Amino acid sequence: MIDYHAILPEIILALTVLAVLVTDLVTKDKYYAAVVGMAGLFATMIPLLTLALCDDLAGCSGELPRVLFGGSYVVDQYAVVLKAVFVFAVFIALLLAVAYLESDRYYEGEFYFLLLAAALGGVVMSSSRDFLTLIIGLELVSGPGFLLAGWRKGDERSNEAALKFFIIGVTGLALLLMGVSLVYGITGTQLFAELAATPQAIVDEPVFALGLLFVLLGFTFKISAVPFHVWTPDVYEGAPTPVGAWLSVGSKTAGFVGLLTVCYLAFPQVSNLWGPALWLAAILSMTVGNFVAIQQTNVVRLLGYSSIAQAGFILAPFGAAAAAGADLQQAFAASVTYLVIYAVMNLGAFGVVIAVGTRLKTYELADWSGMYRWSAGLAILVGAFFLSLAGIPPLAGWFAKLAMFSATIAVGDIWGYSIAVVAALNTVVALVYYTKVVKTAFFDPVPDTIDVAALEGMDVAPPMQLALGITAVLVLVLGVFPGLVSTLAQYSSEVVTAAGL
Amino acid sequence: MIVTPGWYMALAAVLFSIGGAGVLVRRNALVMFMSIELMLNSVNLTFVAAGTGLGLIEGQVAALFVIVVAAAEVTIGLAILVAVFRGRATANVDELSSLGG
Amino acid sequence: MTIGDWLTESANWAFLFLAIPTFVASVMVVSSRNVVRAVLYLVIALGGSAALFLMLGAEFVGWTVVLVYIGAVIILFLIGIMITRAPLTKSVDLSHPISAKAPAALLSVLLFGVVAWAVVESFGLETIPLPEEATRTGEIGLSIFTSWVIPFEVVSFVLLAALIGGIVLARKDEPAEVP
Repeated sequence: MIDYHAILPEIILALTVLAVLVTDLVTKDKYYAAVVGMAGLFATMIPLLTLALCDDLAGCSGELPRVLFGGSYVVDQYAVVLKAVFVFAVFIALLLAVAYLESDRYYEGEFYFLLLAAALGGVVMSSSRDFLTLIIGLELVSGPGFLLAGWRKGDERSNEAALKFFIIGVTGLALLLMGVSLVYGITGTQLFAELAATPQAIVDEPVFALGLLFVLLGFTFKISAVPFHVWTPDVYEGAPTPVGAWLSVGSKTAGFVGLLTVCYLAFPQVSNLWGPALWLAAILSMTVGNFVAIQQTNVVRLLGYSSIAQAGFILAPFGAAAAAGADLQQAFAASVTYLVIYAVMNLGAFGVVIAVGTRLKTYELADWSGMYRWSAGLAILVGAFFLSLAGIPPLAGWFAKLAMFSATIAVGDIWGYSIAVVAALNTVVALVYYTKVVKTAFFDPVPDTIDVAALEGMDVAPPMQLALGITAVLVLVLGVFPGLVSTLAQYSSEVVTAAGL
Repeated sequence: MIVTPGWYMALAAVLFSIGGAGVLVRRNALVMFMSIELMLNSVNLTFVAAGTGLGLIEGQVAALFVIVVAAAEVTIGLAILVAVFRGRATANVDELSSLGG
Repeated sequence: MTIGDWLTESANWAFLFLAIPTFVASVMVVSSRNVVRAVLYLVIALGGSAALFLMLGAEFVGWTVVLVYIGAVIILFLIGIMITRAPLTKSVDLSHPISAKAPAALLSVLLFGVVAWAVVESFGLETIPLPEEATRTGEIGLSIFTSWVIPFEVVSFVLLAALIGGIVLARKDEPAEVP
């Protein structure tokens, strides 16, 4: 008997995806497709809430974790948090896209369809506890991503972004699959719980380590960590900007979900192998991302490099703990917490970039000078999101950084302290370019080429206002109430490990 | 019938590296797609050989899923490629189309 | 086991008979200067691997490769060549210069060496009788619809998304038709 309550979010989302497609077919006004999509996303949140709060609800039986299909699909607290993140990210991306798509000739209904399909992939991935399900889910996230990156069909840069993203993404997929097939060949299972219980004799086989290496390389492509990061800024810049927002949050979260779940649940016994690799990738990503970001003059490219650096911060506690052989659970919680907060603030940052970009028709930082004169509201939002990304209190990014630092220092050892020092130096470097953006928006004189009166008269489209409002409130609330973040960290660390099954 | 799964896996390793070399060396997007197909096909060979070696059916199931994913990827890749070439072509084809009616 | 013993086994001859053309065709796919010819070599490489799947007892996978890859994917590639008007004659600038090829070739030889060594080291080269239970197609269906229902359902969405998105990206937008 299948526990339908546990997979209700997936079922509702899948039906929504199909409903969007049908709505697009039967209506003239493509706006309705977006409305149906949003309604479906709201409906998806309801079973997620009832699953999380099942204990307190009358008439609801069974508590988390719920294990389905012989352990290959598990709905635990961690999965519920990440499903909510995917649904939230796609909701914000949809709001941002509505106004953007109506401003020019784009295919709209199909856009919403692909975006929601990608969300379905992420939601499935969060619960996947075997390689096959995980990879198919990952494929449903990245496939629409390739297509959406090329959605500006008339624009050569968008076409090339899609092509580049596709070739790199599929090569990463091939590496990942090769790794999985080698691991399967030696262990005879794809189930994470069974992989974690692999006998030592098999773990020592060279194929096991090689398969693990390929799996790690495959995921490094997806999370755009150094050394497989070069595509990131080009793709974010070439793709329609709301797609850039989705890729930098949804697609990246999918990569992280895969990497963290696989490392933590399938290969905990060989953390001495993958730990140093993640540790190194974290250090390189934050350093390279930040130092290149300083030189950027285009805001979207700046956010691209900033997302590479943030990927390094996300990896830092988990990599350090694994490398040092310390307790993984705390570090895992810190990484997931950082990931969730990153998702919120990066969506907000992209949202404000899109809002400014639709007015200025350019993403050059120089044109942001004196934004405060023509739109105080947008300038304040720029301040909120970019300072949150920098980790300034009392914004959400501050708690993300705090969780990251306390977890890495708690690891102790040379691995933990060294990465904490590197992260601290990088935080200072990052502060330089994030504050440069804020300073430009607030204090620089307005360039002569910009017609202040015309810009003052323009309004931010209502869906975009809503997206900016939601993310801004969340960034503030998560920053002001520390209890929320610690609850989140506690909650998301409750994941069914092999020992618990 | 007897089989030696090790040889099949070694062959898969050969095909995988050839495909990898193709992705690294070739600039033609179509040939790069074909190289990626070779890599995915060698993954299938590894899965099936491993499954046969272990006497398990999951290897074949995984290979079937990989085939489906690869087919979807080719569709996506060729659509992107068509968009790329159409964007390039319009620059000079627009003038030609007025002649052709 | 000596080479002599190995060669007396007919299954090994069959393997060599299929593996060598597959290998050569794969090399030709990545090195051919003519795109259409590369596609035709891909047919040989995939056909060879389909036959190898049959030898491994994976009949369903083998025939699926024939139907899906050789039947559909190859046709897609040919259509892609036609639409993109890729040069059908020999073209010199298809590839990187030699200086860029050398490190890539070295990397792939290294990749092959490491993977092949690890595979042979771990799996060994012992010959086993073809397991009876691994060859039944019915088992595959049973396995998909009991253990792998979720990926099976999700993969249909992958195909649907690829289809819809592919049509949108590849279709020609009429200038007159403003949606």
